Amino acid sequence: MKKKILSVLLCTAMVASLAIGCGSKDQKDAGTSGSDGGSSSGSDVTIEVVAKGFQHDFWKAVNSGAEQAAEKYGAKMNFVGPKDESAVAEQVEQLNNAINKKPSAIVLASLDPESVKGALDTAASQNIPVVGFDSGVPGNDTIVANAATDNYAAGEMAAENMYELIKDKVTDPSETVRIGVVSQDATSGSIIDRTAGFIDKMVSLIGEDKASVEGHDKYNNKVDGAKVVLEVGIPATVEDAACVTVANTLLNKADLVAIYGSNEFAAKNIITANESLDKLGADKIIGVGFDAGKIQLDAVRNGIFAGSITQNPVQIGYQAVELAVKAANGEEVSDVDTGALWYTADNIDNEEIAACLYE
Amino acid sequence: MKKTLKTQKMVAVLALILLYIFFSIFGDNFFQYSTLVSIFDSSYYIGFMAIGVTFVIITGGIDLSIGTVCICCSLIGGTLFEKGVPMAAVLIIILVIGTLIGVANGLMVSVMGLPAFIATLGTMMITRGFGSIVTGTATVTFPQGDVAGAWFHNIFKFKTASLPAGIPTGFILLIIMAVLMAVILNKTRPGRYILALGSNKEATRLSGVNVVKWETLAYTFSGFFAALAGISYAAVYSTLMPGTGNGFELDAIAGVVIGGTSLSGGNGSISGTLIGVFIMAVLKTGLPFVGLQPHYQLFITGFVLIFAVFADVLNRRKAASV
Repeated sequence: MKKKILSVLLCTAMVASLAIGCGSKDQKDAGTSGSDGGSSSGSDVTIEVVAKGFQHDFWKAVNSGAEQAAEKYGAKMNFVGPKDESAVAEQVEQLNNAINKKPSAIVLASLDPESVKGALDTAASQNIPVVGFDSGVPGNDTIVANAATDNYAAGEMAAENMYELIKDKVTDPSETVRIGVVSQDATSGSIIDRTAGFIDKMVSLIGEDKASVEGHDKYNNKVDGAKVVLEVGIPATVEDAACVTVANTLLNKADLVAIYGSNEFAAKNIITANESLDKLGADKIIGVGFDAGKIQLDAVRNGIFAGSITQNPVQIGYQAVELAVKAANGEEVSDVDTGALWYTADNIDNEEIAACLYE
Repeated sequence: MKKTLKTQKMVAVLALILLYIFFSIFGDNFFQYSTLVSIFDSSYYIGFMAIGVTFVIITGGIDLSIGTVCICCSLIGGTLFEKGVPMAAVLIIILVIGTLIGVANGLMVSVMGLPAFIATLGTMMITRGFGSIVTGTATVTFPQGDVAGAWFHNIFKFKTASLPAGIPTGFILLIIMAVLMAVILNKTRPGRYILALGSNKEATRLSGVNVVKWETLAYTFSGFFAALAGISYAAVYSTLMPGTGNGFELDAIAGVVIGGTSLSGGNGSISGTLIGVFIMAVLKTGLPFVGLQPHYQLFITGFVLIFAVFADVLNRRKAASV
């Protein structure tokens, strides 16, 4: 009997090693195919990427961009991320592991800037350069550079594209016309940038003294006698129901010509509000969104939204690894804007665009 | 029976050593001091919880609340620190709260007669919710660096200039606590009563032992160690998010079971529990070094767990047939 137990336990150990053995072979095969260029050019740059997630489509797109860059520069790249955005401990462990592997450089988007402080100090003491990407590591000065979306510029892009579609209606109109802006909150940095970028650009396109910004203290810039009103609506809480109410109120204004939602949450709830009102469309109120998500993609496909802006996760991954390679080689690096893309029903299935969109 | 438990433990030790050697050979840079410190860092909170819950499992019960108690106590502590309470007091308050929750769990099971699974499931929900209520769902950050109160990190990792990876003092604490609890379990009256009521509660009661008292004590240990786990978690990861902690208890219970403690109660060992915890920690830390994503750890730990429990089943079958 004792023998039996012993054999069972030995089997356990064998299964474990078997699984590790098989798995590691698979992974190595995948790894080498991704970095063939590296082995031939003799480069031994290794990059450890620690993302904020792994299974979400957004991060898959970032991963594919990172792989492209690794292949181009012949670097060995390893991409990990925690199971979800609350798994802070898991991410810290992954970062510690990454540092222990003594890579040439690390690429990091932290879930929580405080929790990775100690690990980043260790990386700094070992002279491993750390590049931030996506949301990066706010407030940490050991990061050598960031590869992220310039959200202000992306907001401006939304305004430019919307302006093209409503130019006739907002150029010196006889009656007051209104442009609605729905924003998730007025506290998150990326959302403020997207909203402010949109508002500032739209005002300058229409004319400084011809457009008045109203609706929220943060953005208010009242101009008496202006014929174009930009009305900002921000829900009291980050809940779908509260945001739908805000969108409803805006859509019900008779002089509304266009509406902008500055992230997936805002865009989705504009679309939800429109379901019962049916006011959005090419000949009706022009809707412009941001990010992706199934509801928004369908709205763009069906012409309910004229188009939306998306970040470029493929570029985020690509540029981050590029920065990391440069930093590893001792080059000076600085922040890069990974850009944004304007997508409509016409180009939504293009390869470049589709790679950046998630459901 | 004692002998087979010993055999199982020996095999577990062997498996742990083999795993470490395996990763040292096949993982680049795995065999180094700083990686060892990382393994220790990631094992503290599971390790402390596992030591405590071993007692509950030996009584034949279960404590599902330890994961959320661990996070909840630290959330309360962190909130108090932000309100100006000194760190030493904060740490004591954390331990007291955990202990009290443990007492409450114990009374629900031993006096009120609730099934342990249900009682501690309720406590799990309560503590998870309470953590969010206390913090207003905001993330809590413990002090680090040179700020006042940051000294408590030294309990688990002592940073010195000569050793950038730090001295893993937490490991020493873990071993001290494990030895202490092993002595309590095996050499003292409370420990023997807990073992006895695990193998046959009714017989133990009839022989004049105060079953209520000792069963409650087992849950009290569990609560105390969950709180200690919370402090170690705060020391290693610095920030705590309300609403997390679910699932930690299962890692701890898996460690206990891999270490040879029987879920049906009556036998078990603290040293086995620690070995079980470290098998999981070495797997978790080692797999990325051979190029595998951490979810392979789940995959492999699952197999290890099933085989370990199967060994336990064989053990008991043998005991029954003798």
